[in-house]
Amino acid sequence: MQETDINLLVGGPQGGGIDSSANMINMAFSLAGYNIFGVREFHSNIKGRHSYIHLRVKHERPGSLKYPVDIMVALDPDTLFEHMLDVSKGSKIIYDSAFEKFELKQARMITLDTMSRIRYELENRKLPLNINGVLEYFKSVGVILVSLPFDKIINKNLPEGPATRYYNTLGAGATMAIIGLDIEHANDGIKYAFRKKPAVIESNLKVVKGGYDFIKEMGLEAENLEVYPVKPRMLLNGNDSVAIGKLMGGLRFQTYYPITPASDESNLLENHEEMKFLKGEAEKLKTAGLVVVQTEDEISAINMANGAALTGVRSSTATSGPGFSLMSEGISYAGMTEIPVVVTLYMRGGPSTGLPTRNGQADLLFAINTGHGEFPKMVISSGDMEECVYDAMKSLNYAQKYQMPVIHIIDKTLANTMDLVPEIDLKKIKIEKYEENKNHEDYKRFSLNTDTGISPYGVFGKDIYWITGDEHNEYGHITEDVSMRDKMMEKRRKKLETADREIPLNDKVELYGEKNADITYITWGSQKTLLLDAIKELKKNGITANLLYIKMFVPFASDYVEKVLKNANTVIDVESNMNAQAAQVIRMNTGIKIENSILKYNGRHMTLDEILKSTKKIMKEKTEVEVLENGS
Amino acid sequence: MVHNFRSDLTVDWCPGCGDFGILTAITKALGNMNLDPEKVVAISGIGCSGKTPHYLNIAGAHTLHGRSIPYSVGVKLANPNLKVLVMGGDGDMLGIGAGHFVAEGRRNSGVVIILYNNSVYGLTKGQAAPTMPLGEKVKSIPRPNIFTKINPIPLAMASGYSFVARGFSSEINHLSDLIQRAVNHEGSSVIEVLQPCPTYNDVNTLDWYRKRVYKLEDDKSWDPIVKNKEEEEEKFDNGYQMSLKWGDHIPIGIMYENNTIPSFTKRLSDIVPNYLKYPPSEQDISDSEGYSILDPFETFIERRID
Ligand SMILES: Cc1ncc(C[n+]2csc(CCOP(=O)(O)OP(=O)(O)O)c2C)c(N)n1
Ligand code: SF4
Ligand SMILES: [Mg+2]
Repeated sequence: MQETDINLLVGGPQGGGIDSSANMINMAFSLAGYNIFGVREFHSNIKGRHSYIHLRVKHERPGSLKYPVDIMVALDPDTLFEHMLDVSKGSKIIYDSAFEKFELKQARMITLDTMSRIRYELENRKLPLNINGVLEYFKSVGVILVSLPFDKIINKNLPEGPATRYYNTLGAGATMAIIGLDIEHANDGIKYAFRKKPAVIESNLKVVKGGYDFIKEMGLEAENLEVYPVKPRMLLNGNDSVAIGKLMGGLRFQTYYPITPASDESNLLENHEEMKFLKGEAEKLKTAGLVVVQTEDEISAINMANGAALTGVRSSTATSGPGFSLMSEGISYAGMTEIPVVVTLYMRGGPSTGLPTRNGQADLLFAINTGHGEFPKMVISSGDMEECVYDAMKSLNYAQKYQMPVIHIIDKTLANTMDLVPEIDLKKIKIEKYEENKNHEDYKRFSLNTDTGISPYGVFGKDIYWITGDEHNEYGHITEDVSMRDKMMEKRRKKLETADREIPLNDKVELYGEKNADITYITWGSQKTLLLDAIKELKKNGITANLLYIKMFVPFASDYVEKVLKNANTVIDVESNMNAQAAQVIRMNTGIKIENSILKYNGRHMTLDEILKSTKKIMKEKTEVEVLENGS
Repeated sequence: MVHNFRSDLTVDWCPGCGDFGILTAITKALGNMNLDPEKVVAISGIGCSGKTPHYLNIAGAHTLHGRSIPYSVGVKLANPNLKVLVMGGDGDMLGIGAGHFVAEGRRNSGVVIILYNNSVYGLTKGQAAPTMPLGEKVKSIPRPNIFTKINPIPLAMASGYSFVARGFSSEINHLSDLIQRAVNHEGSSVIEVLQPCPTYNDVNTLDWYRKRVYKLEDDKSWDPIVKNKEEEEEKFDNGYQMSLKWGDHIPIGIMYENNTIPSFTKRLSDIVPNYLKYPPSEQDISDSEGYSILDPFETFIERRID
């Protein structure tokens, strides 16, 4: 039997229950021992505009998504229009029969530009500009239509209604029935999804049963799906994972100004301000708490975090491009005054407000170069949930050990990816603090008596010293002396050299796959797991590929990257930006120019199908740049 | 041994600058209060005023132009046991840093803001500051000032500061008293200090102020302190009216003090009960072997599925 591997898409109006629908599906399959991988896509809008969740259900943990999807659940007519081309022969589409009368021009929430694209697709095929036109198209390509009379089914099973409130449940129920999940597991999923609202469980179970019955009547019910034993897992997205890593890593002060896709991290932290369930004997350990401050702007956020760090606490802030722009001066100050601070930078589509809720990886060079003047900072990037957790912990360590700002980059796709995490190893990362000052009599905060560039760290509350953004002497007083200037510049640089020397190679870069391969992919961020999946797919077709995955951009593993690339065959750089920024970093550090790239800047996540297709094109037709276009 | 709160650094302000008086008043206040020198810190922005922390023998952060308030709040909330003095110019606090000035009123974190008002941007050679009146022509600007002025007192009151006062750099004992009152006040304070800048401001000179300034404390009937919510409206109104007096007679002293507004640290301890006992700066973050004390599968139970 072929392994169950289902790509599905749940679409509907923003605020209209797709999260709830996906949540029921996620819970049910998780409890049946499956893995879940999904990405949430939405407009910069609170209610009404089209949003969707692209999900994959598989026993072996998936790291990518695919088009065309196997099942699409349309909670509104817009979904059928928007995703017309995201299905193919054999795909099943679950929708409300009532949509059939819907005209394209009634879909007011579809933006005019998208509307004209859809009109073009329909007119091109000589189809009417309404749902019937779309349905005809589906039939013509062999898509299976699962037209459900939503109101009728719900009213029959739950006469008290209101039916509209249960559309999402019915969609989820029908989906699970079609996949062949037994109803007991479906029910478990519902119970788990609503465990905090027990009053609504019964009614939802009835609607799910209605869905199962109807699918059976239609003869679409699949045979019983295999189920697997379940171990505790956590359903996390990138925001959650970073927040968890920060708390594990000893964060005690977080600032933020609301911005997508960063604020969910701070919201989770705010929810855990009074930290509970700590492992510790002493009262002091058991009663930890953290301070989260929603500041007046991002300028305040970075500078307040810097201020808190002066007391020795681990402090950080989280933002996205527009806020990060405002933080530049504060980051430069942290560099100059050797303040340990972590800035989590969630990248979205820029420039300016750009695509506020969509993906982008265009802020890499900006992160590397942020802040005026030359000062040491570290720039690291994560590519999956576990990395988000551990990198957040490491960032706090690096910041304090090397006394410099650390920028931790997460892209929007990763921030909004849902993934089931089986284990977080408490012993993987040790908490490493700054070297503490012991000389309280004549303390020189910026002592030059150091080989590593690192001077012992004193804290406000225990030590008397000064800091200033002006060039300064060992005590932290202003100086413009030519020789002291040079010494201080070199001392600060030395810290980065120390970090470069001390940090192991596999914390900077990782080579996945066979050493000698036909193709060497280069990537960073959320494309990591996607390319690992792609490598497996290629292998099935007899093509070997490996992945040079970059985790740390400053300091950069120049020698190793150079060595790998010099021995590589076809090198393909994969990034969600227009200018292949990581490739530029590589060229800057190694002199090696990477000829081939697969790039995407339409704001949507890359999918497995388009990676495979564009890779083939590069290999066969020797094209240099492939620009990906998938997504709605 | 008595701690000397003046550092041994040479001061590089212009002769006759009002900043000297402010520095003396701060040093005096710290000495009078007999504070543990490790438990009080000075945080400033950029400007002539911004250099003050270097001249004090306590921990000091000379930060960015306009950003002293965020730094001070970071320090205060991470370690609420510290007394935090904030120094900034009128450009620093009311120009580039005006957003923070207003926002800190809403927080009322418990920092003492000393606002150096010389009506000019001293360190950048005398451009008009936000406190310079419309039409005023000081020697450093090419034409009369084209902006109206901000009055920091009502701005501070409206923003939510719970202690708002005005001092004068040449009334050192009076200013020192104000600073001591502010340091002992639980919420955040703003003390606007009128100061001459002899180098650039030839209108609001030392003499000009001397002739006009009078102390509110000399009027025994002046009572700016809100002791309960019922008094709030009337005393706010009195403080507001008083703050508008300008011209031949300029009042200095406490304009408004409201002890019914809870401080931010108090508000935080309502959420995290042990906040004041074990603030962030006093917490252990790892177990005896150096590993995390937090198991996410326990703490983030809402994310767990099994
Ligand atoms: C972001 C930024 N912009 C501009 C400056 C230049 N600058 C230095 S001091 C100053 C004005 C100082 O005036 P004020 O705050 O009134 O302080 P004073 O010198 O009068 O005490 C300016 C604009 C700066 N340091 N940083
Ligand atoms: S320029 Fe003015 S404010 Fe600055 S030091 Fe000189 S007199 Fe003082
Ligand atoms: Mg000034």
